[in-house]
Amino acid sequence: MNLQIRDDMPDLSMSTPLSLDALSSNLMLDTPGVDLWRARRHLLDTKDLTKVEVECALRFAAVCKKLCQLEIAPLPVLNSKVVANIFYENSTRTRSSFELAARRLGATVLNLDVQSSSVAKGETLLDTAQTLIAMGVHAIVQRHASSGSAHRLSEAFHDKVHVLNAGDGWNAHPTQGLLDLFTMLEVMPDLCGAKVAIVGDISHSRVARSNIWLLKLFGAHIHLAGPPTLMPPEISKLGVTVHNQLEPAIEDADFVIALRIQLERQKKGEIPSLSEYKKLYRLDHHRLKLAKPTARVLHPGPVNRGVELTDHLADDPELSLIRTQVANGVAVRMAVLYLLLASKEAKS
Amino acid sequence: MNRSLLIKNGLIIDPSEDRESQADILVKDGDVVMIAPHLEPEDGQTVLDGSGLWVAPGFVDIHTHLREIGQADREDIGTGSLAAAAGGYTCVVTMANTEPPIDNAAILSVLLSKIEEKAHIEVLPIACVTKGMEGNELVNMVELSGMGVVAFSDDGLPVSNLAVLRRALEYAKVADRVIISHPEDRDLSAGGAVHEGLTATSLGLPGIPGASEAAAIAREIEVVRQTNGRLHFGHVSLAASVELIRTAKAAGLPVTADATPHHICLTVDDINGFDTAYKMNPPLRTQADRAALIEGLKDGTIDAIATDHAPHTALDKQKPFDQAPFGIIGLETAFPIALERLTNGAGLSKLSLIALFTTKPAAVLDLPQPGIRAGQPANLVLLDPAHSWIYDTAKGFSRSRNSPFNGQRLTGKVLLTFYRGNIAYKDEELIQSRHKSSVLKG
Ligand SMILES: [Zn+2]
Repeated sequence: MNLQIRDDMPDLSMSTPLSLDALSSNLMLDTPGVDLWRARRHLLDTKDLTKVEVECALRFAAVCKKLCQLEIAPLPVLNSKVVANIFYENSTRTRSSFELAARRLGATVLNLDVQSSSVAKGETLLDTAQTLIAMGVHAIVQRHASSGSAHRLSEAFHDKVHVLNAGDGWNAHPTQGLLDLFTMLEVMPDLCGAKVAIVGDISHSRVARSNIWLLKLFGAHIHLAGPPTLMPPEISKLGVTVHNQLEPAIEDADFVIALRIQLERQKKGEIPSLSEYKKLYRLDHHRLKLAKPTARVLHPGPVNRGVELTDHLADDPELSLIRTQVANGVAVRMAVLYLLLASKEAKS
Repeated sequence: MNRSLLIKNGLIIDPSEDRESQADILVKDGDVVMIAPHLEPEDGQTVLDGSGLWVAPGFVDIHTHLREIGQADREDIGTGSLAAAAGGYTCVVTMANTEPPIDNAAILSVLLSKIEEKAHIEVLPIACVTKGMEGNELVNMVELSGMGVVAFSDDGLPVSNLAVLRRALEYAKVADRVIISHPEDRDLSAGGAVHEGLTATSLGLPGIPGASEAAAIAREIEVVRQTNGRLHFGHVSLAASVELIRTAKAAGLPVTADATPHHICLTVDDINGFDTAYKMNPPLRTQADRAALIEGLKDGTIDAIATDHAPHTALDKQKPFDQAPFGIIGLETAFPIALERLTNGAGLSKLSLIALFTTKPAAVLDLPQPGIRAGQPANLVLLDPAHSWIYDTAKGFSRSRNSPFNGQRLTGKVLLTFYRGNIAYKDEELIQSRHKSSVLKG
């Protein structure tokens, strides 16, 4: 799909300046898939998203990105809404990205400091959500170490609050998947037949899973590379190609996504050492020569510099999309927040 | 009051007598008095028309967690034994992994008094193999056996130290008791939540590899070979385990095994997203494993059906999948599931099916053989094998509701359970509907 803001979209062309109500314009609300987002209450996973919904979200994200670039913000679209960020696991960058996205749409943002709240005293995640709902929170952005925790919340409070999964265990990180896809589509508008390599600790990666579901939807060929001890059993049944070596995975690849590896993998005996990991799987300019000349590198962050990829590669503006991913993250999260929270009320 | 009851025209299925025939049964003062092809009702006698019903000896479950002592928020002897009666059981053996665990005479006396006070059917205690289930020091097996303990098990945990297991198997000979193994290699299964494979991978849940069970069974079989001690494997879930046990039995080793209704009915593919009603240990396995269990039950490799009834509170089961406790309740659904999967689905005879619920589990623990015989206590279950019903945990008798079968249509229903001639459970609704068609009188 083409994410360029085209001139044949009069409201949004560069000649007509984008305005504060760009998202709620008839042109945007006529985008295919808006009706599906209106019917949807939560964003839990990329597994259950249809291609139309994904394209719709990314189209809105493109407009959000443009609005941000033009510093047309905050938009007054979520003025009456309260968005709560509950991060049971620390993630300054994802939390900040969601916070910025919500603020740019005019929402009130509540950041729950889990360490100092009653959560630390044994309150369940349902109790915590219940309290926030009672305070009038409209959406909960949740990060939790357990797979399925966002689903649990959405089942318990289906009609009462919108749940946005900001990462649950090893299961899903849908906004990361969407922003990675957005970033790749900006570079290559048609991913059908493209080769995308995902490298590293696939087992413990919600990013890998969310990317796999989306990339499949867009027809990319997915190749995984990583130590056999960090490769989830039977994952090839999802229609991906599994390699234990880096080279065949990145050969002629259009994109290489490097995943973060945690030091605890060594302590748990899942890899012998980070130095051996680096020998086998670290991306650098030399290895990247195996990929297409136009190939680009992504990483969900935060990067362990010198481990998953070399410093030099991470910072290479020609090859690395890491900074673009961060910028796109805000736009994608704005789009998703808008579609879940505001599109229902906007005129159609 | 005339304490006599006549059950007419039922199909008596009694594996202890190898009997499958229609006959009348006279029960007086709690005992079976007479079984004959045709008995005339006497004045004032309660008469049950058992047309179309099976009459079987009361079921025996050698693996339940009734949660007494200390876990009354999940279950107690009263609610658990009532749930058992509703499932057709007149005898259940309750596991020792309570709070505190049943590992000494004092705590056992407390449990025995609770049983005395609250049990609706016979409830027999198991004691731990090791003190505190810590896997080190043996409990006073002889003393506890003398007080009524029928087997020893650290169930919930394996006895991982094989030297300890060896001593336990040797020492249990003095107590003349069986050790029940919970076969699990805790290093291989560590952190796991569901069977390792595509489901785990796709849900992002940590897997439990099949090797964690099969490797434990293989190791423990070698200890049995060494000691010739009696070892029973609980809740066997894998094709590889069935094969190991088959080979061990062929070699004449004194091992036995049971399988749960859920492992012969469900597979890992049935797991419904993050629904913790599907979280149990061992986990649901593959279609091939399920088929191997059924084959094992048919050829006698697996001796019995045991429920592993494991009640948990809604609060605990509401936790995220990886943090929620393992286990499901199963007493009230065991029979219809086995009937559907083994007899209707796999051609097992009625007699063999009932044997898996009565004589065979009793034989595993050397309990008296259940049967319908003159002069014996009337522990009986009346079953309607054709009745189709929807299982609703909210209407069930267990204090807990953690069942994947909630809301499911099942075929085969317990109508009445008699324990020592008294009604321990009665399906009032079903009896009423039969009564309307004037089948039941008296
Ligand atoms: Zn067990």
